[in-house]
Amino acid sequence: MAGATVVVPRNFRLLEELEKGEKGIGDGTVSYGMDENDDMLMRNWTGTIIGPSNTVHDGRIYTLKIFCDISYPDKAPQVKFCSRVNMSCVASNGVVDPRHFHLLGHWNRSYTLETVLVELRKEMASPQNRKLPQPPEGTMF
Amino acid sequence: MAGQAQLPRRIVKETQRLLSEPAPGISASPSEENLRYFNVMILGPQASPYEGGLYKLELFLPEDYPMAAPKVRFLTKIYHPNIDKLGRICLDILKDKWSPALQIRTVLLSIQALLSAPNPDDPLAENVAKHWKENEVEAVQTAKEWTRLYAQHP
Repeated sequence: MAGATVVVPRNFRLLEELEKGEKGIGDGTVSYGMDENDDMLMRNWTGTIIGPSNTVHDGRIYTLKIFCDISYPDKAPQVKFCSRVNMSCVASNGVVDPRHFHLLGHWNRSYTLETVLVELRKEMASPQNRKLPQPPEGTMF
Repeated sequence: MAGQAQLPRRIVKETQRLLSEPAPGISASPSEENLRYFNVMILGPQASPYEGGLYKLELFLPEDYPMAAPKVRFLTKIYHPNIDKLGRICLDILKDKWSPALQIRTVLLSIQALLSAPNPDDPLAENVAKHWKENEVEAVQTAKEWTRLYAQHP
């Protein structure tokens, strides 16, 4: 695999992700951006997920905070829901638990902020999450 | 060193020359863990608002270098119409005017030249460019202030 020898350093990887996020991703069901446009370290990000149809999450807009430490992307980012949500991999304070969310628990350098959001959205539609009772729409952790 | 074997000869040669014959006011050295990732220092040019400042940058040679341009970013805060708040640089040779005939050295010399000749007509930092066009004396003053605040030698 070509990527095996050329490693894109953290900052340039995040700049690429920032540019991709600014252009908009796919059908717009997930999106993300940086919190402060002068944060040289590019640590704090906000993502949104539009709940998948045919689930209890249908049409809800979920906001999340994503923290990319200096070790990103070698290590997984920390992900926390701001919007209240009831999911098997989300703790009672909104934190996405890496032990219950495979992508974060078995992180791979090729994963991106987009992958995190897309996989979380898929998780919402999984059999254990699609019908879970949800807190009122729009409430925050 | 790990990765050295796969490093294209062109990059090895450029690196050797950067280390043995550095351009005046510029230093660039590869990081130990990634030989495509350079720590760069540029001295603010004389007679520019950045004189007396020492600017830290990072440079990365992507996989398709030299067919694609190096990626470069300022890590030191700088008040300049062609450099944004994240340190990204608006410079034609880093984008559509890139040619494989250019090198790391030429890129860094061009960035040094950009510090001497800010171009508010092709801005990246809109606010700074506006300031530059409306009141150049004041904008230069702010640039000098930022040099003093953020770009001092450690």
